[in-house]
This record gives sequence, C-alpha cells and structure tokens, in this order.
Amino acid sequence: MTSILTNPLRVGLRQERVIAPQCLVIFGASGDLTHRKLVPALFELFRQRRLPSEFSILGCARRPWSDEEFRQKMAEALASEVADHPAAWEQFSQGLFYEPVDLQQTEHVVRLGHRLEALDRLRATRGNRTFYLSVSPEFYGSGCRALAAAGLLADAERSRVVIEKPFGRDYGSAQSLNRVVQACAKESQVFRIDHYLGKETVQNILVLRFANTIFEPIWNRNYIANVQITAAETVGVEERAGYYESAGALRDMVQNHLTQILALTAMEPPGRFDPEAIRNEKAKVLQAARLANEEEAWKCCVRGQYGPGGTAAQPLPGYRQEPGVNPNSTTETYVAMKLFINNWRWQGVPFYLRTGKRLPKRISEVVLTFREAPVHLFDAAGGSPTPNQLILRIQPDEGAEIRFEVKAPGSGMRSRPVDMAFSYDDSFGEPSDEGYVRLLADAMLGDPTLFTRSDEVEAAWRLYTPLLELIEESPWQLPVQTYEARTWGPAAADNLLAEDDLLWRRP
Amino acid sequence: MAAQLTLQAPLEIPPAEVSPYLERLWSSDLENSTGAATFTLLVWEPSWLEQQLVRIGRLDGPIRGLDRDDVVEAAREITASCGLPPSLAPMDPRLVWNLGQMHGNHVAADQRGQFVEGAISSHMPRRLITLAPTLAADLPLETIVAAYCPLPEEGSAGAACGDAIVLRGSLGALGQAEDLVRSLVHEELPCWVWWNSSLDEPKEILEAIAPPPRRLVIDSSLGQPARCLDVLVERIATGQSVNDLNWLRLRTWRESLAMVFDPPSRRDALQNVVQLDIDVEGDHPVKGLLLAAWLADRLGWHLLNTDWVAADGPGQGIAAEFQRTDGIAVRFRLMPVPIGTPKTHPGAIVGLRLISREESRTPLCVILCSESGGCMRLESGGMAAMELLEEVVPLPEEREEQELARLLGGGHDSTNPLLESAAPLAASLLPR
Repeated sequence: MTSILTNPLRVGLRQERVIAPQCLVIFGASGDLTHRKLVPALFELFRQRRLPSEFSILGCARRPWSDEEFRQKMAEALASEVADHPAAWEQFSQGLFYEPVDLQQTEHVVRLGHRLEALDRLRATRGNRTFYLSVSPEFYGSGCRALAAAGLLADAERSRVVIEKPFGRDYGSAQSLNRVVQACAKESQVFRIDHYLGKETVQNILVLRFANTIFEPIWNRNYIANVQITAAETVGVEERAGYYESAGALRDMVQNHLTQILALTAMEPPGRFDPEAIRNEKAKVLQAARLANEEEAWKCCVRGQYGPGGTAAQPLPGYRQEPGVNPNSTTETYVAMKLFINNWRWQGVPFYLRTGKRLPKRISEVVLTFREAPVHLFDAAGGSPTPNQLILRIQPDEGAEIRFEVKAPGSGMRSRPVDMAFSYDDSFGEPSDEGYVRLLADAMLGDPTLFTRSDEVEAAWRLYTPLLELIEESPWQLPVQTYEARTWGPAAADNLLAEDDLLWRRP
Repeated sequence: MAAQLTLQAPLEIPPAEVSPYLERLWSSDLENSTGAATFTLLVWEPSWLEQQLVRIGRLDGPIRGLDRDDVVEAAREITASCGLPPSLAPMDPRLVWNLGQMHGNHVAADQRGQFVEGAISSHMPRRLITLAPTLAADLPLETIVAAYCPLPEEGSAGAACGDAIVLRGSLGALGQAEDLVRSLVHEELPCWVWWNSSLDEPKEILEAIAPPPRRLVIDSSLGQPARCLDVLVERIATGQSVNDLNWLRLRTWRESLAMVFDPPSRRDALQNVVQLDIDVEGDHPVKGLLLAAWLADRLGWHLLNTDWVAADGPGQGIAAEFQRTDGIAVRFRLMPVPIGTPKTHPGAIVGLRLISREESRTPLCVILCSESGGCMRLESGGMAAMELLEEVVPLPEEREEQELARLLGGGHDSTNPLLESAAPLAASLLPR
C-alpha cells in the first residue's frame, strides 16, 4: 500500500491563532541564528498565512547593510525555500528591512525608534513590537537597558523582548540578569526562550497528563518507582567548541532543556490552562527539587567526556582532539545525576537525568517505571516480571509507549512484556513545525506558556548550584571520566543506578 | 481588551460638518494623542430583522445592531407563530420580508454604531464608520460622531485614539453619501468593509463602499444562493481580499474531516472516494456546496454535471457528478433536511457521508454529524458491509462580531487560497 505524502485536507487549517500586526526586530541579524532558524521560521509562518499583511521584520546589527542587502542575504541563505516558493518569498521579502544598530550607542537606539515609527506607518503595524535579542549573552542586560532607555519597552501591552539561552551562567548571574531585565520591562513582556519547549512532544507531556483521566491518578509516588530522563546525541561538539568549552553539558543541556522536561513531567496540575498557572506549577516543582545528596554531590552525579571511538573505517576523535578544544580540557560532555523532589507527590521517587554527546543513538525520552506488582502470580519469561513503563519519546520517532505484561502464547501461564505504542507519524503523518516556528509565533502572540519565567530560571540554576560549586572549587571530587565515543557513557553512570538495583533503559 | 474611553458624548452634526469637525477634533481636543495606526472598519449595518421586530412590537429597543440573543429568540418565536416553516433560520432574509408585511409602528431609539463589541474595540480601529439604513424611506441623512481613546492602563504608553462615525438615514439618503464615505476612509490605512446583511441588497451600495483594495467581509449564508455565490466569485476575481463568515463557520467540519484522514494508513481512501453526501438545514445549499467544493478541489476532482433533484424535505436537492484524477466517477448529493430548531444562519450542515471503495479492501464509510442533527439518514443504505467511521462535529456558536474580530486581529490583503479555489467550484455546483 502506498500513501500519498501529506493529508490534502490538512492544508491551510493551521490558521486558528493569527498573529497581530507587528514589527519583529531581530538584534544580531547578521548572525547564524537569524538565517538558519529565525527567518526560515518566519517564512514558514508566512506561508501558513499566520502572519498578517501588516507585518515587518527589521534586522539590526552593526554591519552597514541596506534593506536590499539584507533581503539579498536572507534570500541566499534560504535559497532552496525561495526556489520552491518564489512568489511567496517575493511578497514576504517586501516586509524585510534592515537598520545598522549598535545597542551600546545611544544615538543608534534613538534612530532605531524613529525607524520603527516610520515602519509602523508604512506597514500599519499598530505600534506592536517584538524585540528578539539574538546577540551574545553578555549583551542581554545592556541590550534591554538600551531599549528601555529609548522608551521602546514602555508600552507593556505592545512591546515584548525575547531572550535566547543561556540565561546566566549560574544562580548568581541569572539573578543579576533578571534584576536588570525586570528593571527594563515587566515580566509579562519578557520571553526567555528554550527551544526544547517548542517541540510538539514536550508540549504533549502536558496534554497527555492533563487531558486524560487515566494517567493522573497513578502519576505519583504510590505507583511510580523511578523516572529517567535522557537526552542523547550522536554528534560531538562540532563547531561549537568555543562556547562548549566554557559551558559543558550541565549548562548546555541539563540546566535548561532537561530541567524543563523534568518540570513538565513532575509538576502539579494547574487550575486552568493559563500561562501563569502553568509556570507557577513548574516553578514550584523546581523549587522542591534537590540533588539526591547536596552535601556530597559527587555521590549523586557523574561527569564524563568522550574519548576516541568509532571503527577502524570510521574513527571518531575524542573531545580533546576536536578542533578548538583544549587538549587538557576537563569540560564534561556527559552528565548523569540523581534528583529527588521533596513534595507529597514525589517524595522518595528518584529522578535520573542523563545527557551526553557521542552516544550511540540520538534520542530524548522520559521513562516512568512503575512499581512492581505486589505479588508475582505467574512465571515470567524473563525470570521476573518487567515493571510497567510509560515511555514518552520526545525525539526521534515521537510518540509514547506503554510496556506491560501479557500471557505468553502456549500452554502454561507465563508472562512476558509487550509494548503498546502511539506514534505521531502513524497517527498524524505530518511533520511538526520546527520549534522556532512555534516559539516565535507564541512570542509574537504574547503567549508566554512555553517560555521560562524568572523564578523558573533561578530555581533551575539553584538546583544545580552544589554541583557547579563543586566543579568550580574541588573538581577532583567530580572528575570527568572518559567514555568511548558511541557508547552509553562512563561505567560510573551505570553504577549510579546499580546502587539502587536499577539499570538505565537502553533505548 | 483595552477599555474604551469616550472623550465626548456622541454628537449629531450636519453631514457637511463632519470632516471639518473631525479635523478640529484631532487638532485640538486630541492634539496630544496619536491616532491609532490601525485600520478603518466600515460596516453596512441595516439590522433589518431587529428593526422589523421592534416596529411590530416583538422586541424592545433600543436598536443596537449587534448580534443579540434576544433578537434571535424573538425571530424564532415569530417564525413559529406566523406559520413560517420551522426550518427557516432566524437570519433568513425571507423572515424579514414576511415581517415587513405585518402591521406595526412601534419606534425605539436607534443606537447602531454607538456600541462597539469588545472583541473589535480591542483591536483599536482608527475609524469605525457605520452605515445604518432605516426602514423609514424618507429619513434624511444624519451623522453622529464620537472619539474614543483606550483607558490608560498601567504600563501603557501614549493613547492611540480612534473615532466612530454613524451615517443614518433612508436607503436613498445613504446612497447620496458616497462622497462623504470616501472622504472619511483613511486611504493610507487598511480598510475593512463588513457587509453585515443579506447579499440580496442593492449591488450598487456594495460596489460603492467596498471597492478593492478594501477588505471585504460578507456572509454567503444570507441571500439567494445564486446571488451569494456570484458575489463571492466576482469579488474574489477582482483580487480583493474576501472573507466569508459562512466559510469560516465551516472550520470545524473541515478540521474534523481532515482529522479522519490524518493517519497515513487512511490517506489512500481519499484517492478512492466514490460518493459524497451532505445534508444541510433548510433549503440554503451554499455552505454545503462550499464544503463539497473544498473537498473536490483538495482531491483534484473535476465537475462533470449538476442538477436539481427531488428531496424529502423543503426545497430541492442537488445531484452532481465529479471525475477523479484517475477517471473514476464520484457521486455527489446535497439534500435539504427539515430541522425543528435550525441554527441562526441558513444552510447549516447537518451531516456528511463519504464513501471510499478500493479494490481488495472493505469499503470505508466516513460519517460526520453535527451535535444537533442525527446521522440516521446517512447511516442507512448498506453501511453494514462497510468499515464505518463516525464522528460528531462540535459546532461552537460564535458571535459574528467575534468572527470579525478574529479577522481584524491578523488579517490579510488577499483571499484565503482555499476559499479562492472553492468558491468558483461551489458556484458551478449550483444548478442554474
């Protein structure tokens, strides 16, 4: 049986939430993110007719480009999309403008204000503005200050500012940055982006938990024995050595992406589907989370660094052999840890988080393992019954699986585990929007549900403060342990679970 | 929503004074305020039903012109008591015509254009112009003007203000006000024209107030079906942005049908459709034809022929034949179904049946029904031998103003391509 590629009846039905007329101002418009993610996402929204006609994109950076040069550069960067949809690009690109701006120069920001007023008149954008800070993190604070000083954030209803990750390097710097940002704009105007929250399957955790009655009664310490959250990558550090050397896996993946998944998995049900209600619950659960052993953090955490691996035909370099990496680097490319959440729902249930580069598979998933049946009535094909598991697959093969015991065919009453699977591909067959499409649209709609609030960010940094301090002050207590590229991390990570008579799931 | 602050009581001034007055208003009273750089909304607001119900004493005033529950309730009551067919929707223009034959001379204050639906005002129209024709054929043109600003809110900088202008009078008097209307529309801002009435009304007025590139909002459920479809097709052909509220109300049907075929395992069934049946309320087929046309367009069907057929209920049904891309024929039937309590607008969809036959597979029958209507008629006729998929389509009753506000919130200067393709096909499906 052959299936036609897309559902022809689905075309054009994504028009429910239409973005209001506005101007999106991208700072750092000459950078990588603008042409790799932001403008493609905006062009996708345009083609879905989710951008109104009264819309403009103003690219800002130090380079002295003209509007036409900016359009030209974006067209080159999106060459294949432009070739596929030339008429749409022609129309879309008429809304692209450019203004050379150095946010540190007052007169530049004043000039920017005048340009925005002119664009409001030209494109009837109604004074609505979204400022996207796609700049180096050290300019987040000063960028907000400059916008506020020019009065561009004064209207809390019609101006918003989007801030990329990382938001701070630790608890203290995140607090300082929050203070600066909040002095410039109301919290409701600030959209701290975490592109993991733009993934359909991450959002599905909320729907799965709170749109069904069958999960919530068992979503607690009475039924769940442990939770594993994994984000594994097959790639190495690639071209990001400069950034990665100072960040490491803990800052790059755990503090933001994995912690957001942890929050969605463990939060209490919000009273209503409202951005603040959801973010209140996420903040509360993060404030209740603790490393399993804060005093001796090295006992609940493992750091690793990939060494050489691969095959003779396709050898893979170790992290220290990667271009741009210090040959004596102690930056971790792998982290595994054990957490607890001290509240009524989760007291005593271990949450195991792991992430790493150069692991055997690219996979992100949440695995909830349920408690064993109190009495084993049947012989199990595998020796003992496999505990029930609910697996939420975030990527790839997005979907969910429930693992449970059934009677093995044949005489006797032996049990064996089977999987019941839901797959996004099988059920919907349509590729999901790229995360930035969703997040950009939400920011421009003024919907902060999928963005992290100041207290969430701070709670996330506070959670890992004992580890960060340990790595800073006595790194020998938590050394990086080498693991062969394309293996599941250092042996110590397995030992972390073995102490609890558990195993990491081998997805 | 930004609350609206009236800077002054609505003021009646002579038509010739309107433009000079507005200039003075913006240069003196509002000199420290910015005019909202938003859009002009021009509304044709005859509210004939409301006016007639007030005139014959079946509804208390004032006449406000908004989509009001009490107007619909009064219309339903009088439909039953006048012996009109119960399937007649409250918004059906034939009801207005019948009311026009009844005696009565009650009067009430006319406040059309002076109340702005919150969902619309939250978009801060720069100018709201209401054209309010009256039943009285001899009423001269009256003009009422007021200025509004959003109430200052904490954190909100600067007041972007707008004004509201009502032009009220007989049809003849309003017909003479074309130049005044033209002078009031800000050409530099987008202009939306909401034809909040039947499309049977004089074509000249529609043409005068809604020339391209103004963005037109109509409702193809109001008016004679052929006229509705012709206006839709003609207007789209001009390149104007045409938004049809009747098409927008099809959203849940299109979404529900798309959902059925989301799983890739069902996609092949779409290529093997052999029969499509649509039941509609009463005898207004436009909505059903738009749905069929959308489906045919999406699946690449070619229309072969169409004709009227006898129906069990009111009016006639439509029988048509399409040809699939592989040459196989698709049978289409649209049938009017009598309904005890019809929806507010004529021609609401009651049910849809789609049958797909594929060699060596059990035929698939998809039935979608509205909550108010049963699927029993569509379930008959040999369905037992088919794989049956049934879904109930939820039909949220949204107010017209909310639908309009959705458009104003992020509108386009071109017609939705799906409607652009479906409308001419729907017009061809209607036997002439």
